Amino acid sequence: MKKIAFIVFFAFLLFASIEMREFGKPPSSVKEVFPNANYDVTMDDRIIGKYNASAEKWEYGAVEETGANNVVTSVVFDYRGYDTLGEATVLFTAIAGVMLLFGRERK
Amino acid sequence: MSLFEIAIILLSIFMIASAIISIWFKDLLASVIALAVMSLLLSLYFYILHAPDVAIAEAGVGACLTTAILIITIKSTKRMEED
Amino acid sequence: MNGDEEKMTVIVQTIAALLFPITLIFSFYVIMHGHLTPGGGFQGGAIGASAIVLLIVAYGVRNIEKRMKEENLSIFESLGGLIFVVVSIFGIFLATAFLANFLVGKAIFGQIPAWGEAPLNSGGVLPILNIAVGMKVIGGLSAVVMLLALITKEGER
Repeated sequence: MKKIAFIVFFAFLLFASIEMREFGKPPSSVKEVFPNANYDVTMDDRIIGKYNASAEKWEYGAVEETGANNVVTSVVFDYRGYDTLGEATVLFTAIAGVMLLFGRERK
Repeated sequence: MSLFEIAIILLSIFMIASAIISIWFKDLLASVIALAVMSLLLSLYFYILHAPDVAIAEAGVGACLTTAILIITIKSTKRMEED
Repeated sequence: MNGDEEKMTVIVQTIAALLFPITLIFSFYVIMHGHLTPGGGFQGGAIGASAIVLLIVAYGVRNIEKRMKEENLSIFESLGGLIFVVVSIFGIFLATAFLANFLVGKAIFGQIPAWGEAPLNSGGVLPILNIAVGMKVIGGLSAVVMLLALITKEGER
């Protein structure tokens, strides 16, 4: 029974690893991920933004909306700001607990 | 085989080796150092996989703060060979 | 009670004293450039906390604890959290919603960078939130390590 379960699980993993694209390679186009998309730009252009050199402005991207070059920061602090607030709350609660347990009482 | 794959395979081998070494050692301080080496190699792995944010966080927390806490703990107890 | 017996060797002390300002400056760099380069509040805060932890390991807790009270570190951490929440609430009044980026396109931090440029005054409220989270993480992690190191010395007193 264990061997059958192992073989089935191994077959699933093998199938998934064959179906993956090359390791570490980002998708080069939106159509590779969403075949029915009606725009054909790369995924980076869609997320980071596309620079229109003649008009000197950004089009449809995170850089145009938040003004930050680092898109990871604009996701962490702007688009998903509530996540960061929750993480800060977790840190605050942990430190308050440690201070309550181990902090020496002052007179 | 590209340089990328060779680097990833070597890093994986070194990481597993240092993880095994860290539970193999009887000396606790050497074990903690091996754990720090594993964490540093993991941050290098993240950097190769184009995730420098996670690499900086891993190098700061995993290789420095955890090691410091464990070393403080080991310093406040008796080491194995002094028994 | 002097803390001389819990210091490490002179080599470790000298190297720690040399590395402390460099590490702290690198941590401030990572926090300030969080919206331009990889890194941000948490990463830079972890680096800064590791600088303080290096001093704690090298010089002993009690010698550091005379200069740097853990209550002040806790106040520093709470100040960071307060800045985060206040800047977030300003988004309700000055823009549309909680945590809205109300400074982008405006005067101080609002420049939108052109292609290939990385101005420091871009990003709207992101640098302020980065600094707030960095203060939180520096104060919090170093306060936790300092308390955990103090509690191991408690029985020897």
